[in-house]
Amino acid sequence: MPYHEFEVSKVIPERKQHAVMKGAGEDLTSCLPLGYLNTIPGSISERGCAYCGAKHVIGTPMKDVIHISHGPVGCTYDTWQTKRYISDNDNFQLKYTFATDVKEKHIVFGAEKLLKQNIVEAFKAFPDTKRMTIYQTCATALIGDDIDAIAQEVMEEMPGTDIFVCNSPGFAGPSQSGGHHKINIAWINQKVGTLEPEITSDYVINYVGEYNIQGDQEVMTDYFKRMGIQVLSTFTGNGSYDDLRGMHRAHLNVLECARSAEYICDELRERYGIPRLDIDGFGFKPLADSLRKIGLFFGIEERAEAIIQEEIARWQPELDWYKERLRGKKVCLWPGGSKLWHWAHAIQEEMGVKVVSVYTKFGHQGDMEKGVSRCGEGALAIDDPNELEGLEALDMLKPDVIFTGKRPGEMAKKVNVPYLNAHAYHNGPYKGFEGWVRFARDIYNAIHSPIHKLSLIDISKDEIDAGKGFQTRRMISDEGLPEEIRKSTELREYTGKYDSVSALREKTYPEFPRAEAGTEAVAE
Amino acid sequence: MANHKIKNMAERKYQKVYTSNPVADADPLTKERIAVLEHYIMKNCLWQFNSRGWDRRKQNAGILGKTAQLLCGEPVDVSVPLEKCYWVDAVMLERAYRKLCPWLADLSKDDIKALMQLLNARMDWLTIDGSLNQELTVVNY
Ligand code: SF4
Repeated sequence: MPYHEFEVSKVIPERKQHAVMKGAGEDLTSCLPLGYLNTIPGSISERGCAYCGAKHVIGTPMKDVIHISHGPVGCTYDTWQTKRYISDNDNFQLKYTFATDVKEKHIVFGAEKLLKQNIVEAFKAFPDTKRMTIYQTCATALIGDDIDAIAQEVMEEMPGTDIFVCNSPGFAGPSQSGGHHKINIAWINQKVGTLEPEITSDYVINYVGEYNIQGDQEVMTDYFKRMGIQVLSTFTGNGSYDDLRGMHRAHLNVLECARSAEYICDELRERYGIPRLDIDGFGFKPLADSLRKIGLFFGIEERAEAIIQEEIARWQPELDWYKERLRGKKVCLWPGGSKLWHWAHAIQEEMGVKVVSVYTKFGHQGDMEKGVSRCGEGALAIDDPNELEGLEALDMLKPDVIFTGKRPGEMAKKVNVPYLNAHAYHNGPYKGFEGWVRFARDIYNAIHSPIHKLSLIDISKDEIDAGKGFQTRRMISDEGLPEEIRKSTELREYTGKYDSVSALREKTYPEFPRAEAGTEAVAE
Repeated sequence: MANHKIKNMAERKYQKVYTSNPVADADPLTKERIAVLEHYIMKNCLWQFNSRGWDRRKQNAGILGKTAQLLCGEPVDVSVPLEKCYWVDAVMLERAYRKLCPWLADLSKDDIKALMQLLNARMDWLTIDGSLNQELTVVNY
């Protein structure tokens, strides 16, 4: 096994099995790090807790819901400015954060009364919002607060309200991934099948594992609507609570982030016979293939094809402009979980960069299987890295850019490596054809920004060459490019708008006649 | 709270099918061809990576079995949604293979079937029986 031992982790020998360097001829039977295990004591992990995974990642993107944390206010830290899962109802779920603000006295005397008071107060403050989710945290789980009982009481006292309880305190798993699992299973057990949805199309999907980061869901839903497909629910970005109660009526589950949401797809497949179709919304080829697959399933592939042709004609010249300027750049792909495999192959093929390392904070071995397969030889794959390992890897690999979360990202900046936010994006959305170009533009801006050279100058002692003038990104990126590319009239920089999402909300879509009632649409 | 009973508990108990790489003894040309077919799947597809071993077995057999039928011009069962979903991934694979491997056109139906069966065995080895993924044998989702 091609394990990689970090110098800084020699004192934590168990860490060795968490990093591998893919060598010539290696495959998954010989090269896979351990994963989804408890963090080794002494290793300062970058992971989140199981409550965070349940609430901040999966629960809260639901848009028409009061989301309450039952616990100390500190647990709600990751809310306002750290998350970017927007919604088309003026971002209700981002603007209002609720916590019961449990204090020491409640730990001693119990916090159920406090919880009930908070629930009632919140419903009264927002009388139009009748749906609520409540999340257990470490402190309230340890004192044994019975959230279910309180929720039941309130639902009886306040008719018309509906409450979902998620029992996933911080300690309920090795990482946020434990919380993803818990909320998936809790939702299907408690809520799926409790409401019958209205079916308006012959082609009905649930869009699962999609969190509408900077508008991703709205971009993808636009394609689906253009194909005449009804998106019954989105689990959970920009998704509606009541729509998600009707998930059992979809014909197909289209699964994007398998890491966080495959559980509910697998359960829906087993309990209701709804197939699970894994897709990639990132990258021209993967996205085009994904739309074709959905089209094939419903026998409407020509509708997908029309969209693909139109979008590629519009955006390919812009993607290629960046590709020419990103060729050979070394990338560390260090996201939380699924993006390591969503992006690994597509960015190499379509943007010309080279992935020198993948890592995952909370991924399982299944994610590493996909990631290790999709990147090339010599790539360093790390599970649950600590900060010192991250720094050592940056020093060893000398990447031109890293894609990661904002905490390790800030650390990378300090060693002069540009960073892009892989979770919340810089100037997203990154899904969709246009989104992929926006991602390329962000990478270009990160790598070629003159700030990296300037930041190395110490004005207190270095000589400043005043005669040299300034540099622009373009001057840096085009140095050494062949003239026909530099002056190409076919390739062009991104020409989309600053906001590529809001206009989608006003769009009208073609009506597709439905097959006669009782006849099923069949694949050709 | 719904009380869901697992229907297929027996099949969830892991049973090993391959104990070594099934392509190891193949002739060099077959090995080379399998490598090309496998490479495409591992770089571009996701269906082979369901989280549990028993699902992976079904996915591999369902999709590769249907791909073989498509490559041989035989009819494919799409009568129920789960089968149709395998068929969708099989169509994508068949198209890619036809483009990527012009030599497929010169093979007989029997040769294509034998090759695809070996590919199925190789994928089972890679993603299930030979895999180092310790979660494949977990019996719950
Ligand atoms: S680990 Fe526990 S206390 Fe800390 S944020 Fe998570 S739920 Fe709250």
